[in-house]
Amino acid sequence: MDIFNALMAGFATAITPVNLLWCLVGCALGTAVGVLPGIGPAVAVAMLLPITAKVDITASMIFFSGIYYGAMYGGSTTSILLNTPGETASMVTAMEGNKMAKSGRAGAALATAAIGSFVAGSIATVIVTLFAPFVAEFAVKLGPPEYFLLMLLAFTTVSAVLGKSTLRGMTALLVGLAAGCVGLDQISGQGRYTGGIPELLDGIEIVLVAVGLFAVAEVLYAVLYEGRVVEDQNKLSRVHMTKADWKRSIPAWLRGTAIGTPFGCIPAGGTEIPTFLSYATEKKLASPEIKAEFGNKGAIEGVAGPEAANNATVTAALIPLLTLGIPTSNTTAILLGAFQNYGIQPGPQLFTNSAALVWALIASLYIGNVMLLVLNLPMVGLWVKLLKIPKPQLYAGILIFATVGAYGMRQSAFDLFLLYAIGLLGVLMRRFDFPTAPVVVGMILGPLAEAQLRNAVSIGEGSAMVFFQRPMSVTLVVIVVAVLVLPRLAKYWTRGKSAS
Amino acid sequence: MTTSDSPAVWPQTLVGAGVLLTGLALAFGAIGISSEAGYGGVGPNFLPWLVSIGLTVCGAWIIWEARSGGFRELDPPSGADQAYWPGFVWVSAGLLLNAALITTIGFILSCTLCYVLAVQGLRRASGQTAVNTPRTWVTDFVVGLLISAPVFWMFTKFLAINLPGLTNTGWI
Repeated sequence: MDIFNALMAGFATAITPVNLLWCLVGCALGTAVGVLPGIGPAVAVAMLLPITAKVDITASMIFFSGIYYGAMYGGSTTSILLNTPGETASMVTAMEGNKMAKSGRAGAALATAAIGSFVAGSIATVIVTLFAPFVAEFAVKLGPPEYFLLMLLAFTTVSAVLGKSTLRGMTALLVGLAAGCVGLDQISGQGRYTGGIPELLDGIEIVLVAVGLFAVAEVLYAVLYEGRVVEDQNKLSRVHMTKADWKRSIPAWLRGTAIGTPFGCIPAGGTEIPTFLSYATEKKLASPEIKAEFGNKGAIEGVAGPEAANNATVTAALIPLLTLGIPTSNTTAILLGAFQNYGIQPGPQLFTNSAALVWALIASLYIGNVMLLVLNLPMVGLWVKLLKIPKPQLYAGILIFATVGAYGMRQSAFDLFLLYAIGLLGVLMRRFDFPTAPVVVGMILGPLAEAQLRNAVSIGEGSAMVFFQRPMSVTLVVIVVAVLVLPRLAKYWTRGKSAS
Repeated sequence: MTTSDSPAVWPQTLVGAGVLLTGLALAFGAIGISSEAGYGGVGPNFLPWLVSIGLTVCGAWIIWEARSGGFRELDPPSGADQAYWPGFVWVSAGLLLNAALITTIGFILSCTLCYVLAVQGLRRASGQTAVNTPRTWVTDFVVGLLISAPVFWMFTKFLAINLPGLTNTGWI
């Protein structure tokens, strides 16, 4: 009953008018950035990171997480109504939802996406509530060698497994690690790569990298290459599901949740795999007449399943973030940065040292999901209006907010020049298909992983054998190797099979 | 995938060369970092060396991929094949002038200037006609002010974040 009591205490904190207001503003803002093209939850949270200087930690974490999962709801609206998905997570929704919208069923698609997100988000929150304390209890027993290997696992999956090209993923990760090296070394206090520039002694702010790579690069890319792209918008029909829609959606939601949750729990993040997996499952399980709807006039299962999987993954990703301090996506990496701004390092101790904060945050997830359902079902028409903002004005406006985020963090005009340079890097990366998530994850996790590595080797008295002498660390080494080798073997086998 | 005579070979090679040079530059910087390892065998120069060697190898590999048939598993980039450079210059001018002037003329004016220049570039990129009329300039200026002024007040007054003003009143 401990968990129940703690959760109730969390609700008591989360339900104060001020925190409710932060939650509502976060959810609304999250929906807005999810709907708007060119700006996602990672940038939105990054641009608002300066508020950590003034706003109380509970309020700001509730606010940021509202943005985090609000964007998932908003993203599906854009991907159903426009041809361009707002963020990668809605790519699958875009395929099937668009087909539905084209055949005049936009309303049903929007409804199943919103309600599915709610169902999956709520179930996943229950799982976070029940499991996170246990994971934290278990994680207390992990030492520096295990932590280092867990981070190595996160690096491996984010760079080598999730992207298409391991080479480009690795390059991006190394760039992030290099950016993380800049500044004072946290163990010896020695300056690294500062080039005599005093601003660089403090290191490069994560806000700069995130805002530069995502917001500024997006604007520069749009002006360079996408000026002439014309988007056609599907017509919005009444947001309503028939009895048959419900009957087809409910099992798909539950299956999507079941697929998405485990993917969020393991430090191998990314929503691409679970959403595609859910889509494939729905297609496979469908009866012949429904199967004909897939990719044709649009099957509701193809929206319901992946949307649920998406939200379940995103919510469950809070487990590794809160209990191990390991982010698995851009946005969770920046949430980790927000914790660090308060001098708090998420990890197993968080549940004992900052119990009130954690439980208020978890309680706010329940509240936020209800708010988002209301924001996204009856009020969907309002959000759709955001799509009418002309692109030039929208993108130029984003630059103003980018300035606030980048300048507000350290009050240094030097950062604004750096921001532009990072924006240029982002354009190159996008043009040549380099993934950006490894940069952000590498930059945030790099210094932490380095510290754990050095502590681990110190424990082993200078010997790297320390990674092979403990049962948990050996297991992790095996997992890292398996994650690296298995997909390649599978590819090799299927190639061999098709050749013979 | 691109063939060896495709126009993408040179840009891709340049990207690889950039990565390679970054790796070498980082290695050069790593020489100056002490290897004092304390109790452990790993000092502050370990990660810099690892990263610089890694980037150098990746750079060489990228060059090799570029020269031997182009990047593997490459998604064709979205948007037009040819870049629209005039628009890029407008947006860049906006961003750089903003960085240069923000402490002198204050957040509101500096951001409005950035907005006006960026929107010019983006309008031109989308092929709008009549971008150079006084009407457009005035509208853009007013819209820029209407976005940056409330943003400035919201952040300085409600959230107490320091943003530079033209005066010390906190309103402009």
